Amino acid sequence: MKRNIFLVLLAAGALCAVQPAHAHHAFAAEYDNTKPLTLNGIITRMEWANPHGWIYMDTKEPNGAVKHWMIETAAPSQLSRHGLKKADFTDGMTAVVKGYQGKNDPGLANGRTLVMKDGRSFYIGSVGGPNDGAEPQ
Amino acid sequence: MPSIVPTFAWLEGLAWTTALRESPYGYPLIETSHVACIVVFAGLVIMMDLRLVGLAFTHAPLAQIQRRLFPWQMASFVPSTATGILLFCVDPLRYYRNVFFLAKLVLLALAGLNALAFHLKTYRTAEGWDEDPLATTTARVTGAASLLLWSLTIVSSRLIPNNWFK
Repeated sequence: MKRNIFLVLLAAGALCAVQPAHAHHAFAAEYDNTKPLTLNGIITRMEWANPHGWIYMDTKEPNGAVKHWMIETAAPSQLSRHGLKKADFTDGMTAVVKGYQGKNDPGLANGRTLVMKDGRSFYIGSVGGPNDGAEPQ
Repeated sequence: MPSIVPTFAWLEGLAWTTALRESPYGYPLIETSHVACIVVFAGLVIMMDLRLVGLAFTHAPLAQIQRRLFPWQMASFVPSTATGILLFCVDPLRYYRNVFFLAKLVLLALAGLNALAFHLKTYRTAEGWDEDPLATTTARVTGAASLLLWSLTIVSSRLIPNNWFK
């Protein structure tokens, strides 16, 4: 009997290990996966920080007004794993960020893909985002 | 009244807090340790509280349960607090106005006072009812309050990352 309980626990543990660990807050709590965005603008600042990084970007609205964006990225360890370095970011650089709109804050977004001016593309999404193919397999 | 913001900005700008905030492994290690220590601590506290309310180990003397669990409770409480303080220092400006963070501090204080009152007052009288499966009413209320307060502390902690109220 004890042995059976142990085996059940072991199996449950193994299943948990297969399930990818979720980010410390759920994507769905703050971002809308039905509202994808492509932001083309100037990165004014990048916070290479735990538990999430932040890209601050200015884009131009159709009427010419500047819109400030705060774009959440994955943590430094994950950004590094996908080939990015802190030094890849310089204030004032142009870039394209693909991601999803924040639910409540119109200037908030969750970044999925970052495309640099030279064409290099990086996955910047947090763990637990939508399965939209942005994450390299 | 002088603002606390410059102090927190100074703390956030220090070399070591910045290094931890940007570190690939240091921060996740501290964060994971924080949660792991809390899990151990909460489990031990819950077992003590269940004895107090009369749901677990009712045939074991209270003093024996207390004596066995207390050193382990402290051994997990101290590192969970230390890692918690570290996590705050790494990002003070993110937390200091967070509703759930402030609620957590209040709940921690209440849970601490509840535990302190138990140790200084109720537990002192334990000799009289130590072997009794059913603790005194005061002790049972203290156990129930502890269960509630620690549970709420954990729930509010879990909600800190959600910036629902800015």
